[in-house]
Amino acid sequence: MSNETASEGVMVTINGMEISVQPGDLVIDAAERAGAHIPRFCYHPRMSSVGVCRQCLVDIDTGRGPGLQPSCMVPVSEGMVVDTESEGVKRVQEGILELLLINHPLDCPVCDKGGECPLQDQTLTFGPVESRFIEEKRHYEKPIAISDLVYLDRERCVLCDRCTRFAREVAGDPLIHFMQRGNQTQVLTFPDDPFNSYFSGNTVQICPVGALTAKPYRFRARPWDLSEVESTCTTCSVGCRINVQSSRGELLRYQGVDIDSVNHGWLCDKGRFGFEAVNSDERLGTPFVRSDSNPDELVGTDWNTALEAAASALKAASGSSVGVIGGARLSNENAYAWSKFARTVLSTDNVDAQLGDGLCAEMVMSLPRATIDDAATADHVLLLAPDLKEELPVLYLRLRGASQGSTKLIELAPAPTGLTRYTSAAHGYRPGEMGQALDELLGGATGDAMRSGRTVVVIGRPSLADSPGEVEAAVGVAQRLLPEATFLPALRRGNVLGALDMGLAPGVLPGRIANDGSSQAWIDTHWGSIPTERGMDTIAMLEAAASGRLHTLLLIGADPLADVPDRDLVERAFAGVAKIVAVDTFATASVKRADVVLPTTAFAESGGTTTNLEGRISTLGRMVTGPGTVRDDWTIAAELAWRLDADLGLESLPGIWAEIEAVAPSHARCSPSMLSADSEGVLVPLPVVAVPEPDEIADDDADTSEADTSEAEVDEEQAEGAAAVVEAPSVPASVSWSAPALVDPPAVDGYALRLVARRRLYDAAVHTSQASSLAALADDSTLRVHPAELGSLGVESGSRINVTTARATIVLQVTADESVPRGVASMGFNQPGISAAELIDHREPVTEIRIETR
Amino acid sequence: MGMLDYVRGFKVTFERLFDERVTTEYPKEKRPKPERFHGRHVLNRHEDGMEKCIGCELCAGVCPAKCIYVRGSDNPVEDPVSPGERFGFVYEINYLRCIHCDMCVEACPTQAITESKLFEFSFTNRSDAIYTKSELVVDDEGKPRKQPWELWHEGDDLNTSGWMRATSSAGRVEYEGVVGWSGELGHGVRSPEVGQSATASSEEGA
Ligand code: SF4
Ligand code: SF4
Ligand code: SF4
Ligand code: SF4
Ligand code: FES
Repeated sequence: MSNETASEGVMVTINGMEISVQPGDLVIDAAERAGAHIPRFCYHPRMSSVGVCRQCLVDIDTGRGPGLQPSCMVPVSEGMVVDTESEGVKRVQEGILELLLINHPLDCPVCDKGGECPLQDQTLTFGPVESRFIEEKRHYEKPIAISDLVYLDRERCVLCDRCTRFAREVAGDPLIHFMQRGNQTQVLTFPDDPFNSYFSGNTVQICPVGALTAKPYRFRARPWDLSEVESTCTTCSVGCRINVQSSRGELLRYQGVDIDSVNHGWLCDKGRFGFEAVNSDERLGTPFVRSDSNPDELVGTDWNTALEAAASALKAASGSSVGVIGGARLSNENAYAWSKFARTVLSTDNVDAQLGDGLCAEMVMSLPRATIDDAATADHVLLLAPDLKEELPVLYLRLRGASQGSTKLIELAPAPTGLTRYTSAAHGYRPGEMGQALDELLGGATGDAMRSGRTVVVIGRPSLADSPGEVEAAVGVAQRLLPEATFLPALRRGNVLGALDMGLAPGVLPGRIANDGSSQAWIDTHWGSIPTERGMDTIAMLEAAASGRLHTLLLIGADPLADVPDRDLVERAFAGVAKIVAVDTFATASVKRADVVLPTTAFAESGGTTTNLEGRISTLGRMVTGPGTVRDDWTIAAELAWRLDADLGLESLPGIWAEIEAVAPSHARCSPSMLSADSEGVLVPLPVVAVPEPDEIADDDADTSEADTSEAEVDEEQAEGAAAVVEAPSVPASVSWSAPALVDPPAVDGYALRLVARRRLYDAAVHTSQASSLAALADDSTLRVHPAELGSLGVESGSRINVTTARATIVLQVTADESVPRGVASMGFNQPGISAAELIDHREPVTEIRIETR
Repeated sequence: MGMLDYVRGFKVTFERLFDERVTTEYPKEKRPKPERFHGRHVLNRHEDGMEKCIGCELCAGVCPAKCIYVRGSDNPVEDPVSPGERFGFVYEINYLRCIHCDMCVEACPTQAITESKLFEFSFTNRSDAIYTKSELVVDDEGKPRKQPWELWHEGDDLNTSGWMRATSSAGRVEYEGVVGWSGELGHGVRSPEVGQSATASSEEGA
């Protein structure tokens, strides 16, 4: 609630102490800072004040004598005198608590909140010793499930309006309300309309009593037997700060930690309840190798045998015939270890953390990066992104919140998204014509408005059925027409940006530098000589594998069968490659096809750091031990290196981080103490103190001249390094990227619909399917088409139809949906039982589908 | 040193020779133990047979030896184990660690856990020392279940929940002598002990 433009403080007296506070601050916050905690139930700093519980009444004197006023509703003013401890205040605090407890069941022993309950704590501190009420308490049926994840016990509810306010104000899912009047007032959903919000778990965390409980945590533990460590959610790349709580070596709960820059304390349900997947019985606990006698079977074995088998599979391949796919789910340290392993031990540049479903690494790294706060405070946010509500839920919350203020959201999407209703302008385009549509949009008045203010462009893959080149061309248009704009990459996997920063992309080395010879001297001093020939990305590797040019594929936490938008290509690649080595936590479809499977640690089983989509590095906490004999990725990489007669020189996570600081120019000076000092994490590259540019810089690759502001900082650092040490190689320049030209859009086929395939929050991937409470939430395996299109095809909504592309024919249910534009059909990319990847041919710019009744 | 000194040395022996014997033939013979003796625990059941424990973990939280492990779970709706939403799904006490302080008994909001007078066990392995629900929950008569390694004597299984009944459940003097607890399988609602204030004067004299 602080007012950023304030320069002078306001003098107020709180309990006799005169302090200066920010104008606009509420008395409740000012008192907190002065060391006087005022009890409260309804007030929550991230939501608007409503003043309904009256627990925070204190004596406030603004010159007319002291009077009781709710401190959560009154902003400070000059000369205000506040007394939080007067007799009157004490009496009213006791009175309110006594009233709140009239109907409160006091079933603390069986209540999940017992032990960490604001009602318990505040009753002990501020409440009456005894109640005068002896009447029977009010009874309701308890508990009732208001969604698949949340239970409501109306007897315990103190009607603070926090959950309902959250649903309305923050989540934008106003599905729970106060109903009835007076003594019968209760929180409820409408009949047959459950609280199906992606953010429902937050209400459980902010409920000041145990009225709302979460199914995955219910009765699993009491607060006093939880140990906790602060960490960062890596379910998606937003990187929400969390407290990881466990008891007896089992993860039991994640709670959101309020940090200003990212999540404001909120989490999405997928992140919050994702610990169930880590605890899953299906986790891989031992290594497996393919049986000699029965090639269809993977048999459990010991690490020695498995590592030997993996090493021999890798040894049999030479630098250009080995490919490394994945790494976007790992910590920075683990990603670095694999990056170094691939370059120095396997001598290959065939590495890619993305699975053909992301964006060009050089583009992401070279664009001037925006932060989430930049986006939430910008004048305009241009969305060239997938459905953020489905893929990056808390970014959606932040942008939705921004749209309620002065930020205008402008969307360009092939089909409506969760944010569409909050945009000030939502434009559609036919898949394949994104660049042209953007060109038109930005050329007009919208573009002028955006150019006149601060604009952030969120970029991602609006549809996985279209080629990534379309997005790149569109980004080029945005860069050309919005020269001042900054960009926020909406890539999904937890640490995908960290993995790219660690060099898990062809042609890119740790620290956002190019592996094109210009950085050879630099990397030689750290890593020794490595191949400088640009390697293949995932799609190219799979094509090479399909044509028999790849001997071994190393999958590090990657499931190409599920994630690459071209199933047929992956099938052919897996058939064409001699050996597959998979390092993973679950036996995914791809892992089941591997020849050697090495089980690895999952979230909260290892430490290290992660990088979110802003480039914000924050720490990961280790809380539990993984199942069986799982090992950290970096130890697997080090062990494999050793078996291939090499030494990675990596000995511990802190040691790896120290090496990253030295090797990766973008991560220089980002020390562990900086990282652990603050929950907010550290944005890299760190700004550097400007030094006069020496002349040597001009010798560098001509590409550097195109470097934008964020690279300029690195350049300055390069200058610094070069000036200081004569012998040491200069810090290489950052990667550069130039946008491809707009190509003519593919011709429209009047008989076909263009497919829009987007990921849903709850899908068929292990994060959902292995979390028992979330698995059932993955649905919507239908194809959505505008009713008029269905009408002209003579297809009934709800019927099962054949969907045909050049690649395959699959059977799907079709649903009429008014919101889907004409000429387009929309489906989830990877839902249980169906996969859009089967329909997609990665070589085609768009995916044309034909619908036939069966 | 004369003969007399030798005889004088037996003075105490002769003096005590015909006194009442104080040693007992333990373990063949046992002295009665005080009513509030702290032995191994039992988990009580309500008169209708339902378990009193609701799995709240308060006993585990308060235990200074950290020897109790409790996990709660949702009560099966069809066949509830205890009244209410939650029941003690796992309950274990490690008797290699328990110091029989009875803090758990005081913490329990439902009088589910109380102590018996049984303390003579001879385990042959560590897992026997960890009593689980099947050993702790009283039988259908409301009596402790005898374990093969326990030495029982006449009357040891009586008053398994006796000691705490002297005080009121709310701990306040005005409720002394007022029954503030629910009935128990095999015991029903037993009357309180004579309050401490009644016995205080006689104890002062002792
Ligand atoms: S359920 Fe909890 S958060 Fe919602 S109104 Fe009741 S007490 Fe407040
Ligand atoms: S938005 Fe992303 S980072 Fe945040 S809780 Fe959800 S999955 Fe985790
Ligand atoms: S008697 Fe004391 S040490 Fe033994 S279980 Fe109870 S609280 Fe723990
Ligand atoms: S014995 Fe009593 S205190 Fe312990 S878990 Fe059961 S009900 Fe709670
Ligand atoms: S906290 Fe101020 S009225 Fe509720």
